[in-house]
Amino acid sequence: MRILVVGGGTAGTIVANNLSRRLTGEIRAGKVRITMLSASDRHMYQPGLLYVAFGQMTPDQLYRDQASLLEPTIEFHVDPVKQFLLDKKQVKTESGKTHEYDILVIATGSRMVPEETPGMTEGAEFFYTEASAVKMYKKLREFKGGRVMVAVGVPHKCPIAPVEVMFSLDDFFKARGIRDKVQLKYHYPIGRLHTIENVAKWAKPEFERIGVDTETLFNIKEIDAKNKIMKSEEGTEVEYDLLIVIPAHRGMEVIERDNLGSGGWIPTDRYSLKMNGHDDVYVVGDTTNLPVSKTGSAAHFQAEAICENIASIIKIGEPVRDYDGKVYCFIEAGHEKATYAMFNYLNPPDLKPPSKPMHWFKISYNHMYWTSVRGLL
Amino acid sequence: MTTQTPTASASPFNDNDLQRLVEFAQLVTSVQDAMSDDMVNRLASTMSEGISLLDRLTRNDGLTHLLREIDRPENQRFIICMSNAFTQASRELATAPPLGGGLGGLLKLISDPGVQEGLRLLAFVGARMSNSLREVHRHGL
Amino acid sequence: MSETKVIDARDTFCPGPLMELISHIKHVGVGDVIELLSTDQGSAADIPEWVKKVGHEIVGSEQIGNVWHIKVRKAK
Repeated sequence: MRILVVGGGTAGTIVANNLSRRLTGEIRAGKVRITMLSASDRHMYQPGLLYVAFGQMTPDQLYRDQASLLEPTIEFHVDPVKQFLLDKKQVKTESGKTHEYDILVIATGSRMVPEETPGMTEGAEFFYTEASAVKMYKKLREFKGGRVMVAVGVPHKCPIAPVEVMFSLDDFFKARGIRDKVQLKYHYPIGRLHTIENVAKWAKPEFERIGVDTETLFNIKEIDAKNKIMKSEEGTEVEYDLLIVIPAHRGMEVIERDNLGSGGWIPTDRYSLKMNGHDDVYVVGDTTNLPVSKTGSAAHFQAEAICENIASIIKIGEPVRDYDGKVYCFIEAGHEKATYAMFNYLNPPDLKPPSKPMHWFKISYNHMYWTSVRGLL
Repeated sequence: MTTQTPTASASPFNDNDLQRLVEFAQLVTSVQDAMSDDMVNRLASTMSEGISLLDRLTRNDGLTHLLREIDRPENQRFIICMSNAFTQASRELATAPPLGGGLGGLLKLISDPGVQEGLRLLAFVGARMSNSLREVHRHGL
Repeated sequence: MSETKVIDARDTFCPGPLMELISHIKHVGVGDVIELLSTDQGSAADIPEWVKKVGHEIVGSEQIGNVWHIKVRKAK
């Protein structure tokens, strides 16, 4: 049984390690082989980018060698997939190799595409890559005061990031003693402050408390970088001195090129996490087209469900469980306090008041992440 | 407070319990105030690495086998003898004059009964080890 | 020839139905229809408001059981 995992991010790494742990005996007996193909020999802790943008972490702290995170029984190649040949049960890689599989797990993830919004690359700051996060920090350091506008593209990775950015900005400018010279305004695509109703209800008085203005039903259409004006699809305009955006995201190019899913998102069954119409292909993490948050925690819980099922199919011929839509998101709420939102397909999140121990749990998780991707936690 | 109201006596707590709770809460508050993000970072990092290391150690077949062997009394005696031997040998080496070298020196060294005993021990261990290695490679663990 | 694409946004709290509509409408052609399935009561009011503001068109909205079927035509 050849299991091929494509993608070495959070989802792919947890899948490969979790399977390797569950199938130790089968791998040792030569009945199962796990191979991972990734685009990089390094693994980045992506939530750390927000800390980099605010000068609370340096980029080197975000990385580990991918090989050091993988179980020794996993065959690992830095060789991204160039073409998926699902009918032949094969993938072709950039180096020209062909890998055959019995079970394929696609975990290629997502990427921001600021270049798709006119003027965004020139006119706005963002933090979804190492370089952009460092650049944003430098801009924040230089900023002496004025209008700081925050806006959000759709869809995007880490749905809680827009809210966290506002608290971080308030903390940052307060610590620098220029909060009174800074106007903060938050723009959100739908009719309330956050897509999760309970987060929206909680954020309203919190934003009022820290002095954040808001505008809802605001989707970024274009940015006039020269005159520092942001225009919305809804027909409104705002002037800014510093613009921070959460750019819209897409799945990986290879997914679109091979017509696996529009926007790079693969049509996936929400319970079995199998690619629609393909019994031997699983999709996990950001790559799915599911109405589920694009976050590491969703990837984690999906990976667990997939691994339990693949292992049980190998051992007893049947899957044993469904993914229930579980997501767990930390929410940094400023002033060294945090809370969290946990929900699944059926139960909405119920927010607790932010506390210091939750903030510690969050910063502890920044380290525990490595234990998590190793398949331990 | 010397008298208790009827409501207070119905409470599952008495004053002493409450006092302890207050003290405990004060302790928690003081720990919260004393901790910094940096301290939490270091603690969490150590714990995370520690758990990963423990996980590697507990799933390492070679190490678990070694631990099982070390548990046997004769092997514990062996470890004690070996550590004693190292201590004594390092002391002897510190006081012994340097060897002159050459074939004569080598002959003189191996004609010592103690050295011959030692070589025999190494030969026994070597023979057993090569047997064991051959078996593991042929039949697996 | 316009097409209808169905988006299943039932039982979802994050991202919600309107977010799903906003992200999918980018990837269909002008004139195409998106049928959004939603179990969220709020979206029945939320979605028409947004569609009107941006200048697309609601071509159908009905509740079957506890599921809203909202059809939106991309107008630009």
